[in-house]
Amino acid sequence: MDFSFSEDELNWQNKARDFARNIIDPKSVERDQIEGGFDPFDWSIIEKGSEIGFRTLAVPTEWGGPGTGFVTQALVMMALAKGDSGICKAFSQNWKWSHLIVNACNDEQKKRFLTEFINDHRYMLGRGITEPNAGCDNRLPPDNDPKAGYRLRAERDGNDWILNGEKTFIANGSVGSLFFIDARTDPNVDITKGGTLFLVHKSTPGFRIGKIFNKGGWRFYQNAELIFEDARVPHANVVGSVGTGSVKAAGGDTTGGDLFGDLELAANAVGICDDANQMAMLYATKVECSGKKLVDHQLIQLVISRMNMLTEALRSFVLRVAWEHDQGKRSANGVLMVNYSTDVVLEVTKLNMEVHGAHGCRNNPRVDKLVRDAMIWGHLAGDTSLRLKAFSKLDQGIGLEKVKT
Amino acid sequence: MFNMSLTSEQLEFQAMLCDFVTNEIKSESIKPSRLEPFDKPLMKDLLNQTSELGLRSISLSEEAGGVGADLMTSCIILEELSVGDVDIAVTLSQTALLAGLLFDNWMTKKQHDLYISDFLSDATFHLAYVGHDPDALAGWNYHTTIKEEHIGSPFATKLDENLIINGAVNFVTNAPIASLFIVPVSFEGKMTSLLIPKDIAGLKIYPAIKTTGKEQNRWHHGTMSRVEFTNCYVPIDDCLKNSDNGRDFSTRNIIQRAAINLGVGRVAFETAIEYTKIRRQGGADIIAHQAIGKMIADMAIKLEHARTMIWKAAWVLDNPDAVIDNNLSNLPLHIIASSFTAEVITDVTHLAAECFGAMAVMRDMPLQKYVEDAFIFANSDTNNLSTKLRITEAIVQSDR
Repeated sequence: MDFSFSEDELNWQNKARDFARNIIDPKSVERDQIEGGFDPFDWSIIEKGSEIGFRTLAVPTEWGGPGTGFVTQALVMMALAKGDSGICKAFSQNWKWSHLIVNACNDEQKKRFLTEFINDHRYMLGRGITEPNAGCDNRLPPDNDPKAGYRLRAERDGNDWILNGEKTFIANGSVGSLFFIDARTDPNVDITKGGTLFLVHKSTPGFRIGKIFNKGGWRFYQNAELIFEDARVPHANVVGSVGTGSVKAAGGDTTGGDLFGDLELAANAVGICDDANQMAMLYATKVECSGKKLVDHQLIQLVISRMNMLTEALRSFVLRVAWEHDQGKRSANGVLMVNYSTDVVLEVTKLNMEVHGAHGCRNNPRVDKLVRDAMIWGHLAGDTSLRLKAFSKLDQGIGLEKVKT
Repeated sequence: MFNMSLTSEQLEFQAMLCDFVTNEIKSESIKPSRLEPFDKPLMKDLLNQTSELGLRSISLSEEAGGVGADLMTSCIILEELSVGDVDIAVTLSQTALLAGLLFDNWMTKKQHDLYISDFLSDATFHLAYVGHDPDALAGWNYHTTIKEEHIGSPFATKLDENLIINGAVNFVTNAPIASLFIVPVSFEGKMTSLLIPKDIAGLKIYPAIKTTGKEQNRWHHGTMSRVEFTNCYVPIDDCLKNSDNGRDFSTRNIIQRAAINLGVGRVAFETAIEYTKIRRQGGADIIAHQAIGKMIADMAIKLEHARTMIWKAAWVLDNPDAVIDNNLSNLPLHIIASSFTAEVITDVTHLAAECFGAMAVMRDMPLQKYVEDAFIFANSDTNNLSTKLRITEAIVQSDR
């Protein structure tokens, strides 16, 4: 085993640390405290990061990107998220879908869309699958209800498809230039048979942005409704084949899209935990209580030790999974890791809140911000359905075989 | 005889408030237009309407013109109010608790007669305690000989028949709306409490703490601000009868706050149940799924335990003989109830939020507010990392 990083990995990590320290961190709380759904967003941060390569980090060299591996991507996310989790996610969301373009699209589509993506510092990517009545059902379609899951309708019209319906809570929704859209091309069968994946550019006639959501955490990061009113999408924008199920068209969990999604959240969580640990230690070494520094109280020592223990365990898990992805190994570890990160990031940030107490929480809005950011894990991506998804990925035959033998 | 039945009066109060909260308060407090902005000013019209139901004077004796409710009844009422709006509940709990202590116990007859009719006739007459829980940080002194001083209290010097007060206290609940202040001051090495009306010279009440802008501070409930004394002359006649009333106030305040926190958990729980009955995923209403069913059961267990503990602790404070007779353990039950409630209500609000999926983190939906409200109670002046050690101190009967 070798736990050391390559020179290239360390270079990217250092670039991300510098960017987080000098550009993100000074703006983090300021952006968080701005009212509204869209207003906390700031294009200048995206553009500066894009110039360094953070927007296009996952694009292979043959398509003009830096061609980094999963370990590098994990290291960069950890560093950026320490500055601000939501800003980190605004960058890494693009990696997720550029992975998918590379893995699921044909060469013509790759050329068309990756070229645009590489050349425009404001070109952001997203995927619209969630709808008001279709959340968990998209991830775990029920056997007994073929109507369950996304309902956005796509109907063929010559060389085009006409899309009608709406998507909700869509990441990068209000700032995205290109979206993968999961749509029903056959409403009479379940989404694994009647679903198709499309690429939809923001300039598509009949497509518009709806409500921009005002969230408690990840306030910089954008989530919005996408509205389709007779939106006309060329057949050339179909990903894979029609009617294969949009999840399958995207390669399920075997491609960079879903596969990266688990790593993305868990690595980001490490960054928040690093931030919380540093804040807790700084506060505890600065503030006195009952005649001695907080850090000299056993209560505080136990809490800070636990925060660091959980963080380091999560870091190890994340880097292991990143390495497995780089080796092409596929297992339940990815989804187990993101489940674990959901628990860890909330516990560590809550413990940081306890170290700060009422006085610290009152005087430093970042304490509360980290918890609000951590809350996102249990609601936008790492909720109960993902815990059930983790079980579905376990090899459920192994235990039985052992009993038999 | 052990009896958990509520009295007919308690049940009536509960039912009346439940209707009022549902029909008048809750619908206003969870409007998206109120939930979404950071700034949530106190809903003063609703506060006044609630006061007119007699809730400002629930703890005041019937002889003095109040309801004469005991602490347990106050807790039942505050839980109901908090289901509607935590800020209204906190505001009224301060005034109501102080009214009972002040008019029935702390004031001289002359002071009582001077203020009682104004208090009873004016629904906007509120009270504020300009001091701290003297034991708030006592857990940090666990098994040490360090004695907490009255750090941060204003101090007094004497001139003729006046005390001259100087100093300031931050984060005083109800200060922006209070007509009368109870101010513990350090005087000649001891604590003395004074009665100070809002319009006295030398008293500066700062505007309510901002919730937006660079000096924002959202880590509080109700309305609060800084209170500052600069050569403030107070007649010696305005000294209250008891010199050190901090513990009288804080033990009851801790229990009342726990009851309000319980209301936060309950409204999160009830909101989650309503939603899980109508949200359909996985081929069924989500309440039919075991994963959701377990969450709801866990929430119910935590809420029932917290309520039982709060009621017991409240009853004991009004019936100290039960401890003297060894019917109940001689432990700081108010700390046990408050600590337990703070822990479980953060769990309950998180579980309730989880039932809502993505909508739980949207600012126009109420769940994110309930979670935040529970966090504020868990990390407040009355709850901190060291609070539990106050219980251990009592167990080992450590003598500082």
